[in-house]
Amino acid sequence: MTPAPASIPSAPEISCRDVWKVFGKNPLSIIQSIRPEQTRAQILETTGHVVGVRGVSFDVYKGQTFVVMGLSGSGKSTLVRSVSRLADATSGQIIIGGQDVMKMDDRQLLELRRHKVSMVFQNFGLFPHRRVIDNVAYGLEVQGVEKKARYERAEKMIELVGLSGWARHYPKQLSGGMQQRVGLARALAVDPQILLFDEPFSALDPLIRREMQDELIRLQTVMHKTIVFITHDFVEALRLGDRIAIMKDGEFVQVGTPEELVLNPQTDYVSAFTKDAPRAKVLTVRAAMKPIPSGAPIPSNHHIVHPDMKLEEVMPFVAATDTPIPVLDDASAALGFIDRTSVMQALVA
Amino acid sequence: MLGSKTLSAQSSAWMRVALWAGVVALGVGIVFIAQTQPALLEKFPETWNLGLRQPINDFQSWVIGHRSSHPVFAFFFDPLSDLIDFGLRRVEDFLLITPWYLVVLAFGLVGYWLAGWRLTLLAVGGLLFCGLVGLWEESMQTLALMSVSVFISLLIGIPLGIIASRSAAFEAALRPLLDGMQTMPAFVYLIPVLLFFGVARVPSVVATVIYALPPAIRLTTLGIRQVILSAIEAARSFGSTPRQMLLKVELPLALPSIMTGVNQTIMMALGIVVIAALIGAGGLGREVTISLQRLKVGDAFEAGMAIVLLAIILDRLSDALSKYDFTGVGRRQRVLAGVLAALQLPAKGLAWLVCRIAPLAGRRANYETVYESLAQNLFLINSVLIVAALWLADALAFHSGGFPSALNIRLDIPADAVVRWMRDNLYEIGGSPFGTGPLSDFITLQMMNPLRDLLVKTLPWATVILWVAALAFTASGWRLALAAAVGFFTIGLLGMWEAGMDTLSQCIIAIFFTIIIAVPVGVLTSRNDAAQMVLRPLLDTLQTIPPFVYLVPVIMLFNIGRVPGLIAAVLYALPPGIKLVDLGIRQVPVETVEAATAFGSTGWQTLFNVQLPLALPSILVGINQMIMMVLSMVIIAGMVGGAGLGLEAVTGLARSDTGRGIEAGLAIVALAIVIDRITQAWTTEK
Ligand SMILES: Nc1ncnc2c1ncn2[C@@H]1O[C@H](COP(=O)(O)OP(=O)(O)O)[C@@H](O)[C@H]1O
Ligand SMILES: [Mg+2]
Repeated sequence: MTPAPASIPSAPEISCRDVWKVFGKNPLSIIQSIRPEQTRAQILETTGHVVGVRGVSFDVYKGQTFVVMGLSGSGKSTLVRSVSRLADATSGQIIIGGQDVMKMDDRQLLELRRHKVSMVFQNFGLFPHRRVIDNVAYGLEVQGVEKKARYERAEKMIELVGLSGWARHYPKQLSGGMQQRVGLARALAVDPQILLFDEPFSALDPLIRREMQDELIRLQTVMHKTIVFITHDFVEALRLGDRIAIMKDGEFVQVGTPEELVLNPQTDYVSAFTKDAPRAKVLTVRAAMKPIPSGAPIPSNHHIVHPDMKLEEVMPFVAATDTPIPVLDDASAALGFIDRTSVMQALVA
Repeated sequence: MLGSKTLSAQSSAWMRVALWAGVVALGVGIVFIAQTQPALLEKFPETWNLGLRQPINDFQSWVIGHRSSHPVFAFFFDPLSDLIDFGLRRVEDFLLITPWYLVVLAFGLVGYWLAGWRLTLLAVGGLLFCGLVGLWEESMQTLALMSVSVFISLLIGIPLGIIASRSAAFEAALRPLLDGMQTMPAFVYLIPVLLFFGVARVPSVVATVIYALPPAIRLTTLGIRQVILSAIEAARSFGSTPRQMLLKVELPLALPSIMTGVNQTIMMALGIVVIAALIGAGGLGREVTISLQRLKVGDAFEAGMAIVLLAIILDRLSDALSKYDFTGVGRRQRVLAGVLAALQLPAKGLAWLVCRIAPLAGRRANYETVYESLAQNLFLINSVLIVAALWLADALAFHSGGFPSALNIRLDIPADAVVRWMRDNLYEIGGSPFGTGPLSDFITLQMMNPLRDLLVKTLPWATVILWVAALAFTASGWRLALAAAVGFFTIGLLGMWEAGMDTLSQCIIAIFFTIIIAVPVGVLTSRNDAAQMVLRPLLDTLQTIPPFVYLVPVIMLFNIGRVPGLIAAVLYALPPGIKLVDLGIRQVPVETVEAATAFGSTGWQTLFNVQLPLALPSILVGINQMIMMVLSMVIIAGMVGGAGLGLEAVTGLARSDTGRGIEAGLAIVALAIVIDRITQAWTTEK
């Protein structure tokens, strides 16, 4: 959503190393016996254990949105749930703010869930017996925040997600999109540093889904939360993710920025998703840029473009001119040029 | 893989051969014994008797002798029963001191609050009936007994249900206990309860609590287990402690199910009112039993109707409570509620009062928020205030109290007349060989006696056991066969073989009649909505009437003996049977039926080729239920001359021969369990 920070801050907000989750009788011993070439189906066949998450590592930095994209059953929910220990990972390290989540005791875990990490669920997970305001205030209520204070905060959140006037209604009186806004407000109410989204918009109609994505993008420009976002919709991943991990059979197949994935899918599995991607929205000028032949002058044009601009933005005037357009960086140094042909090539490649 | 499969197939084939060999050997053995030692098979050998009776009776004497001195009584049973007695008396006094019209008004208002004016009408009409037939005091006594019993059941049941929902081990330990409580005839524990809580009406409260406890536990557990997982996960993700989870999420969401449990608990408790009367519960149950003993049909009819009406009122009220939408969503705007809502003054006053009082308790209260939460329940608050005000006024000025005896209708006279007429005219219609008398004789002489003689006299006991085991084997397998054999053998060991076989013969006949009536009627109502419309209310009523009530006219018509018990059992078991057959056929998917029709099946072909086969599982469940209900009537049959185990149990109770009563009770349980397991295996097999 926001451009990746140029200089990486000191420590990641979330850091996962070699996380495994195996379902079955003897998960730990199974992990040791698994050979890399064994597929998940083979492991199930021979050992009766289901590998939910298979040696996954990733970092998410403050203010970044990390999207995990994969088909149903690929282990996304299991992974995101193990971040706040709603599911206990079998092995590996999950570090949040310098602390290993997997080593936390019950008290520390409560603290983590109450103040640091909030979650938004696919089927909303609202409490049907509580009014919108009591749903939103739930996190504060279990913290022991006084009624007046928590209602004030909840009202603010309800307003933030655009549901003013619905506070005294019950969830079932709201449409799906509105219910998920409640889910979002509830997660935001405790002001967590980290937000976990498990396919939050999958249950919504396409139009509403689009609207909710825009809403999240809008909120993120003011909130700068650290987000792990799960989806099975590649276009959604492209829209929201600073970085995207493609997950299959419990493993990360490829991790990268949207542009990296689209330009450089490393397996057929990834390219199956990227080939229909809206390239103009994902690729930047950099992807269409050609070097200026040595000795040749910098092309002159009354347009100039920045390397980080999306092709979508430059297309109108590239199409209208026959001459090359120079690409200048922040220091006005010429990096190369683009023209109609180079942009067309980048878009159809 | 393949090898082990053939191996297991082989070994099971060997098992079969071995089993049949065993059966044949046993048969040969029986014949051999019959020839060499005929006496051993003729009667179940008395020397094998477990000899429970004497120790139990000794224990009873010991209890009676030590009741005043032993610490178990001084420090446990006596204080407990004093406490129950104290509570019961307070509730009863309260209901009797309260002017009758206020009780009626309060029920009417609650009915209106929960479901609207129809329920008000039912509650007011029903309670007025109780007063008008001169049974106001008895009704209030029964109501008090019910309230206290149900309250205690919930007090025990809900926490146990919560624990069971938390711990699978606890639930597993609880389940056989609950199963036992539900299949065991109440009589079996009435006796020990009477022994330990020997004060007036306390034993009946305890017995009612035991009887009504299982649904309270089961539905609490079920309700919590059914709470949507997503809500639990969400609550967990926000850092709820287990306690917060329970109080803020699980219990509120389990409330409808718990309320259904309350409803069932109430219905169970009402179902035992008459039986509880036998051990001193007083109230309406006592009226029924006394009238029954004196064969005063009219009086029994009035009291029976009062029980039925109370049952219906409490059923509908608690049912409405279980469906009541406390979230207020979709709550209907009711006319009267609107009128009363216009009277916001009481709520405002109350809010004001709360704001004055709260600081005294060291808490801050905001008038607006207090009023807002009160305003949501304006109707209820106004109702309570109105009733309270009237109560005060009455206490100061009128002192109304009980139902005025001047207001009285006598239903007993016409009821008596009807029964007399029936007896005079239907017993032997015009001196012909038709009528209830000859019918009764026919059933007794041509059906019951031969079957009983077959089981008791003709067939050696070992053969009967072998047959039952064989039946169990074909239904399920050798485990059940073994269990069934042990169960029946136990009946013999208890010294109840003859009584048990007598009871078995009566049950078989009753089941036969129930099935040949229920299945065709169920088929009819499933295919004919008009028939269903007519039958439904009839069946519902039949299900709420305590069997004692229709026993009286049945006895008048058929004489004391085994037939009234049979008829009572059939009447008791019919409604659920008919309903399950009907439901089973109706649940056959419409598409399947349409497909059959599309291929040109006639209505009958569709019925026999499609609907009945597909409805079979449900019909079989219905048959299992009918059989269990017939069995639960054994005791009542015993009370009206049905002989068999019921008579043994009743006699044991009446003569303070606790040992005999318990032996008979255990034999009933053994019989019930064997028959239930066999029919259930048969149900799931097909
Ligand atoms: N509690 C469980 N026990 C056994 N297997 C599970 C459990 N939860 C998930 N799985 C398995 O783990 C795999 C990943 O599931 P999940 O994380 O829900 O996938 P996704 O969210 O990507 O659809 C699936 O094959 C699923 O069947
Ligand atoms: Mg999932």
